[in-house]
Amino acid sequence: MAAYTETDVLVIGAGAGGAAMSKRLSDDGIKVVCLEQGDWLHPMDHPHFYDGWELERHRAWSWHANVRMFPEDYPTTGNTEPMMMNGVGGSTLHYAGAWPRFKPVDFRKGTEHGVEGTIDWPISYEELEPFYAINDAEIGVARRTGDPGNPPRPEGWGPANRGGKVGHKMGRGFDKLGWHWWPADNAILTKPKDARLPCNDCGFCLGGCPRHAIASTDVTYWPRALRNGVDLRTNARVERINAKHGRATGATYIDRITGARHEVRADIVVVAANSIGTPRLLLMSAQEGHPDGLANSNGLVGTHLMFHSWSFEDFWFDEPLEGFKGPEPAVLYSQQFYDTDTSRGFVNGFSLQVGTALGAANSALGTNTGNITPWGARHREFFNSHFGRHALIYVQGEDLPVRTNRVTLDPEVTDSSGLPAPHVHYDLHENDRQLIEWGRRRAREAADAAGGVIDTASTGIGGIDGPPPGWHIMGTCRMGNTPEDSVTNKWNQTWDVPNLFITDASSLTTGAAVNPTSTLQAVAVRCAEYIKRRHGDIRTQTRTPGNADAPGF
Amino acid sequence: MVDLKVSFAGSKPPLGGWLPAVSLTDRQAAILNAAADELIPGGDGFPAPSEVDVLSFVTRYVTPSGQEPKWFPFLGEDDFKARLDKLGEGFVRASSTQRVAVLGGLERDEPEFFGHLRDVVYYAYYSRPEVVHAMNRVLRAARDYRTSPLPYGYSDVMADWDDELLGRVRGSYQRTADVRRVDVPAHLGKAGV
Repeated sequence: MAAYTETDVLVIGAGAGGAAMSKRLSDDGIKVVCLEQGDWLHPMDHPHFYDGWELERHRAWSWHANVRMFPEDYPTTGNTEPMMMNGVGGSTLHYAGAWPRFKPVDFRKGTEHGVEGTIDWPISYEELEPFYAINDAEIGVARRTGDPGNPPRPEGWGPANRGGKVGHKMGRGFDKLGWHWWPADNAILTKPKDARLPCNDCGFCLGGCPRHAIASTDVTYWPRALRNGVDLRTNARVERINAKHGRATGATYIDRITGARHEVRADIVVVAANSIGTPRLLLMSAQEGHPDGLANSNGLVGTHLMFHSWSFEDFWFDEPLEGFKGPEPAVLYSQQFYDTDTSRGFVNGFSLQVGTALGAANSALGTNTGNITPWGARHREFFNSHFGRHALIYVQGEDLPVRTNRVTLDPEVTDSSGLPAPHVHYDLHENDRQLIEWGRRRAREAADAAGGVIDTASTGIGGIDGPPPGWHIMGTCRMGNTPEDSVTNKWNQTWDVPNLFITDASSLTTGAAVNPTSTLQAVAVRCAEYIKRRHGDIRTQTRTPGNADAPGF
Repeated sequence: MVDLKVSFAGSKPPLGGWLPAVSLTDRQAAILNAAADELIPGGDGFPAPSEVDVLSFVTRYVTPSGQEPKWFPFLGEDDFKARLDKLGEGFVRASSTQRVAVLGGLERDEPEFFGHLRDVVYYAYYSRPEVVHAMNRVLRAARDYRTSPLPYGYSDVMADWDDELLGRVRGSYQRTADVRRVDVPAHLGKAGV
């Protein structure tokens, strides 16, 4: 080892959680080093200006690392292909910016039903709400207030993205049924902020945004964190978190450019490497005193993986809807069937979200569900009757946290640095299958209520063009109530190692029936606030306090 | 041991495809054009693929010789040219009915290759400015459609929400403290942590 660096806090991962943590800590002058195995993305790395923009989604902008195969990626094995990205911004480089909040009921699923591995969060929605608000202000959320189906939310930085013809038509459908619906909150600017341009409704969000309208953390948190003096090291692949006498001492990383190993020593270590990378790293960090991996004395690291249960339902209508315009994430959502109603035969609920459709080639190739325009003599009639007449309804269900759905290490497969690949095993619980099948029928009812359906297609569960259950990755190092039911306490502090924190979607106790980034960042901001205020306590703790004993703010 | 180091250690797929594009002989180009024209026949106000230069797009996305075609559309130069050569001059001179029969056979016997060829031709054709202009003229749903999302976007032609409709929305939620136990269906049972 040639040398080492010393810092107050080491953050591993520059994505949603790591960026929020780094910026907020450095606001108060705390010295932060952040290690990121990927690099910066340049605006011209986005495909929006190229004639092959739709095709590029299957190459550099594939959401599967095993398809993309970037040098900074690592392979995954197992029975699913999780969606994630490596780079400054992490998986926010590759998200559509859907920005719903969890509902209060999501924090008490253990109380509500306790099925399978479900437990209550150790905190409430109301405790987390101030941190949602802080984070929303940082990233610049687009929002229309007044949704009667959710607790009041503060005004957005700008108004909600416009719904276009798709939003208007499907809104009328939900209205006709008397079902709840509302314009979606999105992490997409609708008025300028800092050096970022507002959305111009170009319709292509899952390839990132060269205008910087989408709130990926490379354009939200990182510019300000760097001005605060955070030492962000890119192409730095962490090999192991080091520990001694029951406390984390820092990490060893490999410079992917030179191959050299370096050490960073820190008073506090925060892991935010996503819900697969984080347990992978903790398991790779097995060492003296931690034979089964760091923070894993109870064997829960990597378990209770959640992805959301899901199906895409494509509907084509007898009128132009022009879904190539406007933001790609949900333009609106219905949470009519969000709460558990056991008369349906399952617990938990789902959101119905209405999305749009990219361009002509995507339409010709079947949109989301493989309803491909036939080649030959029937091509023109089919294409002409389908293009621009489409609305997507996706059924997004809360999946149960099943203990055997988990991330382990695959000793047979390695990344380009020789580190073991994560093995990801995930089987959908029967409850979640029933939920999705029931939800698919509600999606059809909504389309029929909107009127004029001329064709339909569906992925079903795990069908064509994704999603296998695997869109959002959550829950593998969950926060909980005791060292027996979780990996961290209510301040994201691992039960085994008092100065080791986890602040990505790994820490989410339940997955809700909405996109998770808003919530995981709110949790990270809350954790950062705790570290800021209790830095001194944490530096001297030899055991992690219980939820009732922790010093709090 | 399956060592994926090599796959994950290489470069990235070039955005926009490879430049210079793979070079085809005149005969290979004619064969590819003929195939594309059968996959997406022109007419009804739309040009044929051969009239709008789908070749320049497709050949950018064929991986040059000497490199593994590991990214979509998974077409390597040597194999791709060999397949075109196999179709031969006869394919170019054949009637449309005969070409369709040949392509149908390819679809049946080599579905993976056929699927990649079809997909990249679709991507190429619907990226051509002449095709987008045809869509603008012919399709009511496409009158505003542009060749690429940026730089313009669609804010100038984007409909907003209906306030009157939103005023009718009803919904509810519980506070966290108000959540209560439900009766769990017997078939679901429960499990420990």
